[in-house]
Amino acid sequence: MEATKGSKPLVAVQGLTFFRDSRAIFQDLSLSVAQGSVTAIMGGSGTGKTTLLSLIGGRLAPAQGTVEVAGELVPTLSRKALFALRRRMGMLFQSSALLTDLDVFENVAFPIREHTRLPEPIIRNLVLMKLELVGLRGARTLYPAELSGGMARRVALARALALDPLMVMYDEPFTGLDPISMAVIVKLIRELNDALGMTSIVVTHDVAEACSIADYIYLLGDGRVIAEGTPADMRKTTAPEVRQFMAGLPDGPVAFHYPAPEYVSDLTVGATV
Amino acid sequence: MRIVGIVSGLGRRVIAGVTRLGRAALFLGRLAPGLGIALMRFRLVIQQIYMTGVLTLVIVLVSGAFVGMILALQGYNTLVRYDAQSSLGLLVALSLTRELGPVLTALLFAGRAGSALTAEIGLMKATEQLDGMEMMAVDPLPRVVAPRFWAGWIAVPLLAMIFSAVGIIGAYIVAVGDLGLDGGVFWSQMQSGVSVRDDVLGGLIKSVVFGFVVSWIAVFEGYDAKPTSEGVSRATTRTVVSSSLAILGLDFIMTAFMLRGL
Ligand SMILES: Nc1ncnc2c1ncn2[C@@H]1O[C@H](COP(=O)(O)OP(=O)(O)OP(=O)(O)O)[C@@H](O)[C@H]1O
Ligand SMILES: [Mg+2]
Repeated sequence: MEATKGSKPLVAVQGLTFFRDSRAIFQDLSLSVAQGSVTAIMGGSGTGKTTLLSLIGGRLAPAQGTVEVAGELVPTLSRKALFALRRRMGMLFQSSALLTDLDVFENVAFPIREHTRLPEPIIRNLVLMKLELVGLRGARTLYPAELSGGMARRVALARALALDPLMVMYDEPFTGLDPISMAVIVKLIRELNDALGMTSIVVTHDVAEACSIADYIYLLGDGRVIAEGTPADMRKTTAPEVRQFMAGLPDGPVAFHYPAPEYVSDLTVGATV
Repeated sequence: MRIVGIVSGLGRRVIAGVTRLGRAALFLGRLAPGLGIALMRFRLVIQQIYMTGVLTLVIVLVSGAFVGMILALQGYNTLVRYDAQSSLGLLVALSLTRELGPVLTALLFAGRAGSALTAEIGLMKATEQLDGMEMMAVDPLPRVVAPRFWAGWIAVPLLAMIFSAVGIIGAYIVAVGDLGLDGGVFWSQMQSGVSVRDDVLGGLIKSVVFGFVVSWIAVFEGYDAKPTSEGVSRATTRTVVSSSLAILGLDFIMTAFMLRGL
């Protein structure tokens, strides 16, 4: 993807610092997402991937640093300007976040109805087109409670695409999908990105999927970017923490355990009391 | 030492209560612009009135009928000692329109629809539905919260009128069918004794106030709930407890003003 390298980034994060309570989730994090690319953001559980998407979407404000999307500084925007920007961003939540009192059709129609005054037949066609993309045109009358996790994810994807956004952020789009749906979604993300000229940010810890789909990968850890590069760069790299993540090794520089007292002494405390 | 503990515990509770009231007031301030926006999309409000109506109508009808019948029996029992049983219709109508209709309807509404409202909004928060809306550039306050608030506010006075009407019918059935009173006397005493301005309007004002307060508490507790299943269930309980106390407290204040003047 040499072509995307030169173009201006759609998302630029500079020197980002963010705290939860007093714990720093990010410390001086910088990254950028090129227009038209698929960028994967990877990292272990709890490294702040979802938090990063919330910062980009303006749901959280950074303590320091800048977040720029389509040339606008997200944390400084008024609520109105932020909402205008969000209309051009789609977001697929880790939990799907479908509206439980509306059926599949109405869920996908929701953003269209809220933001446009289109006549009903056009809304119907738009919704059916989006549902066809994710293979769920036949499921339009089901309610979210009647969908499997994977189906709900696909409905949420159709909804995220409803307003033909500039950019879509996918939070863990692959977890809990069977191999077929997974392959479908992988292909879909890539095709939508290229056919509709969108930009995609895919948060995942699936190394194989990230490598197959992304133009560029950022690996997060310890509140910063610990490695970045094209999938080929990432596979070739010799940095031990990257190798550990890419190969999925339990032992290495990145600890699997949350910091804790020494194991044996922790267990024997109970015996002596 | 113990006294200090009790006093400081009491103080903490008072401060917590006042803080909560302040948060609820701030929330109402944030909701206010949404209330105007929601009125322009009245279809959403109608939808919510329908939903809360379905939840509460049956229980209001049944309770109203029973309360009316009980009032007839108890009232007759007292009035007959003074040979004043012809005033039974008046007694029942005044009790219902001025007091029992508004108060009991609001209490029933808080327990049935108010708690459901809190749970619904709290669950929408817990399952990221409200966050999802925000990311779709839809503000949940005018879209989700305001229509439900309006619906509760409008539904309570309507339900209170239904409660009183059904109660009067229930009392009539008992009075005429069981106690052997004359139906014409029952109605005519009521008609001449009940004042639209003082009694009916007074009751209506009460139920409008109750509707406002119960809906406010219900949506605030839901929106303010911790986004977990435990948080939502606590919020639901708080809605019922706070609304009930607020209804009874406000009823006392309003009754005092209405009966004794300003
Ligand atoms: N609402 C919150 N309040 C306090 N801390 C939070 C909150 N949400 C997340 N955190 C903390 O922020 C850190 C990053 O969370 P985040 O959800 O961004 O991780 P993640 O990388 O998306 O993980 P996963 O892959 O498991 O989804 C975690 O350590 C978490 O404990
Ligand atoms: Mg996450």
